Amino acid sequence: MKSNIVIATKDLNLWYGDKQALENIDMSVREKSVTALIGPSGCGKSTLIRVFNRMNDIIDGCRIEGKVFFRGNDIYDPSEDVMELRSAIGMIFQKPNPFPKPIFENIAYGPRVHGINSKKKLEKIVEKCLKQAALWDEVNDWLGDTAMGLSGGQQQRLCIARALAIEPEIILMDEPTSSLDPLATSKIEDLIYELKEKYTVIIVTHNMQQAARVSDYTGFMYLGELIEFGETKQIFENPKEELTERYITGRFG
Amino acid sequence: MSFLAPSKLSRKKRGEGTLTEWVIEKLLFISAIFSVLVVFFILVFLFGKGYQIFEEVTLWEFLTGDKWDPVGQNIEEKPYYGAHPLIMGTLLVTLGAMAFAIPLGIGSAIFISEIAPPRIRDFLKTGTELLAGIPSVVYGLFGLIILTRWLQINFDKPTGETWLAGSILLGIMALPTIISVAEDAISSVGKELKEGSLALGATKWQTITKVIIPSSISGITAAVILGMGRAVGETMAVMMVTGNTPIVPEPITNVFASVKTLTGALGIEMGEAPVNSPHQHALFALAVVLFVIVLSINAGAMIIMKRIKERHYGIAGKKKGSRVLPEPIKNFTDSIKNFTGPIKRHMDTILGIFAGIILIWLLTSWFGIPMGLVIFFMVIGIHFFSQSLSPKNYQTMALGMVTLSIIIVLFLLGALLYYITAEGIHALSWEFLTESPRNCGREGGIYPAIIGTLYLTLGAIILAVPLGVGAGIYISEYAKETRVLKIIRAGIDNLNGTPSIVFGLFGYAFLVLYLGLGVSMIAGQITLALMVLPTIIRTTEEALKAVPHTLREGSLALGATKWETTRRVVLPPSMPGIITGIILSIGRAAGETAPIMFTAVVFSQPGLPNDPSDPVMALPYYILEMSMNIPGGQGNAAGAALVLLLLVLSFYLLAALIRKRFEKALKGFR
Ligand SMILES: Nc1ncnc2c1ncn2[C@@H]1O[C@H](COP(=O)(O)OP(=O)(O)OP(=O)(O)O)[C@@H](O)[C@H]1O
Ligand SMILES: [Mg+2]
Repeated sequence: MKSNIVIATKDLNLWYGDKQALENIDMSVREKSVTALIGPSGCGKSTLIRVFNRMNDIIDGCRIEGKVFFRGNDIYDPSEDVMELRSAIGMIFQKPNPFPKPIFENIAYGPRVHGINSKKKLEKIVEKCLKQAALWDEVNDWLGDTAMGLSGGQQQRLCIARALAIEPEIILMDEPTSSLDPLATSKIEDLIYELKEKYTVIIVTHNMQQAARVSDYTGFMYLGELIEFGETKQIFENPKEELTERYITGRFG
Repeated sequence: MSFLAPSKLSRKKRGEGTLTEWVIEKLLFISAIFSVLVVFFILVFLFGKGYQIFEEVTLWEFLTGDKWDPVGQNIEEKPYYGAHPLIMGTLLVTLGAMAFAIPLGIGSAIFISEIAPPRIRDFLKTGTELLAGIPSVVYGLFGLIILTRWLQINFDKPTGETWLAGSILLGIMALPTIISVAEDAISSVGKELKEGSLALGATKWQTITKVIIPSSISGITAAVILGMGRAVGETMAVMMVTGNTPIVPEPITNVFASVKTLTGALGIEMGEAPVNSPHQHALFALAVVLFVIVLSINAGAMIIMKRIKERHYGIAGKKKGSRVLPEPIKNFTDSIKNFTGPIKRHMDTILGIFAGIILIWLLTSWFGIPMGLVIFFMVIGIHFFSQSLSPKNYQTMALGMVTLSIIIVLFLLGALLYYITAEGIHALSWEFLTESPRNCGREGGIYPAIIGTLYLTLGAIILAVPLGVGAGIYISEYAKETRVLKIIRAGIDNLNGTPSIVFGLFGYAFLVLYLGLGVSMIAGQITLALMVLPTIIRTTEEALKAVPHTLREGSLALGATKWETTRRVVLPPSMPGIITGIILSIGRAAGETAPIMFTAVVFSQPGLPNDPSDPVMALPYYILEMSMNIPGGQGNAAGAALVLLLLVLSFYLLAALIRKRFEKALKGFR
């Protein structure tokens, strides 16, 4: 089941001011797969996935070296348009961050900023995305209500629907279930499984079982380095590095 | 290069997008840098006019000369430009004000943050804000018709227009600043620290004095300094009650002497001094002195506040807004204690004796020797009596004092509102509100003044809002922590600290004279706009910063540009906050006198102004003139003051209501 590579990094180094947060990262992500990033707190997982949609650009003092390719184009090339990149790569954050607007407007936001203003088209997009995010049945009668009234799990699925509305190719998720209860978590995990059909997913998680359950590939990071990267089965059952094994079996630190 | 198959989403052309983005960012930047330019221009124009006085006198003579008589009303008919009595006047009145305001302010702050139950706390905070919202000319009127009379009768003096009256009034006016800043500092002390102390068996009062106050001492200091800055720069109220004699009191403790302050001299003499005369140059030089004093006071407060911020949020903490880090503050105060430790014992004794001597001197010079000594020994007695009390009784007494201070503050607020209403209500009538003044304002009404005030305020807001909101957006959303941002911040801080009379002089020198606008509505509107600009910038910045960062990231991650994110995601939830700031500015602009006194207003005008180049009438100026210069005008002055007060307070009330709703609306995020 080898598919094309959509994202690849080469000798990627990143600094926050003087502090190096990523060191010589080389990795590639395959199309229509789920890739999990695991590792202890502060090892640079969030930093790495924020490299892929250039969200680090908005942090003062963040400096990057090396190359990051998306479909063969270097995304940090000065001629590339960040806004376009970000609309091809959606992102879900650790804490659900719906806009304080009606549910409908949350999802229509992306298409609107990309120039779609026809009410009809927007309605279609909203319905489709809510259905894809398995939220339609729960909210279809309340599309005009503020999104702040939804539960945490619903909010997170709304954020997923919002990301889907710009028709990205890749969806980045940074600990998307860490603020949710087990039931809401399992709903999101099911969703990730379905999303894999059409999208490439990169997910950061602290939950080892979750990584094992949802992902095809796993990368283990430690102190800014990518220690080991491979198929999830192999990483969990037969890790090559001792560090990885110690982390996975919980004998760490 | 495109990442996407073009069929996926029909996108608008990004090329246009980036040009708009670029233009918007530049426009925002210009509005942010504007404040710096204004400060620069103020300095240029004050200096430009002021230094010419040194053709008449040397700098040294100017600062230390003890005779201020710029018109030459003496036998030799020779003008004297000695600013010393005025500088002393300002210092004495301010010191006196602080003697009232510091204990009352800090006591009230302790009460509000540590003792009052939540509901009462809200009420008290609103009360403090009300005190801050009352226009200074209304304070002045209160001082003139109530306070000075009361002093004159109770102390049996020929007049109540004295240093003491100025100090009391300024003390009241400085209270809101001191209370609110000190209260912020005190209530930001960590709960663990308090609980830690209480758990060791300390009484509440011991916890307050031994833990809470030391931990927040820098904030309290900043509060006092800021209050002082407010007092030094105040014009209207002071010049209405101090009698305005430019002589250093003899002896210097004579609080019943009439004094003239720097601001008083500017407010009274600027209108009389011929253009480009040495007198006028001397006044501009006074303004420079005033500006320098106020700016250095405010700079002191800023430095202290910045240190506190760094300690709270510094190095270790990206935890913005967390209030858990007084540890460094504790270390800091500890290190001071260690440093002063060995000499501390003796320090106490020395300070005690020193204070005692000063107290005896002051008391005997005010009340005569026998009465002064009696009071002195009573104070000493109370001191030693309190030392012998058990911690519990001591606490009861101390808390009693703290409660007393807030009661005094509330009483002052109540008295002010009551007397203005009581004096003003007689003048109110339909005729008063709808007719033009006749017979020097003694008859007829104040209609043109009401409309003039509305015109001035509206114009000022229309000018200030785009600039202020733009600057706020730039600072909060666009600016990186660079040198340029530091300069912009410094500009805004300085503009915020600039006394209103200095704005008035600047408007006069630059708009009225240099640009040739003449005394006109537009000149007043621009001057007022400059004055409220920093308020709008700050409230905008704060409102925007209250919007969680994750929302911005959410929008950017969807491919929205910075401006789209700002306009569609960040601005809408911060609108109520921004509007609150605008309304507060309206209230402030409506009540100010000093900025319009030389730029826009006339005392009396039969009709309304036809176009922006006409002068206007305005309520604050009408009140000033009626109470000071028109015999028998105080009744109508009080009536106009009541109208102005209602106008301004309704703005503040509106702002408070909106903010309440705003707090509720933002709760969902936290
Ligand atoms: N904005 C920033 N400025 C400076 N340093 C940062 C910033 N963001 C992250 N860091 C540092 O970079 C390192 C990696 O952080 P990152 O957030 O990527 O870790 P993480 O693996 O996602 O951790 P967690 O599991 O706790 O989310 C950490 O040491 C962190 O302190
Ligand atoms: Mg993280």
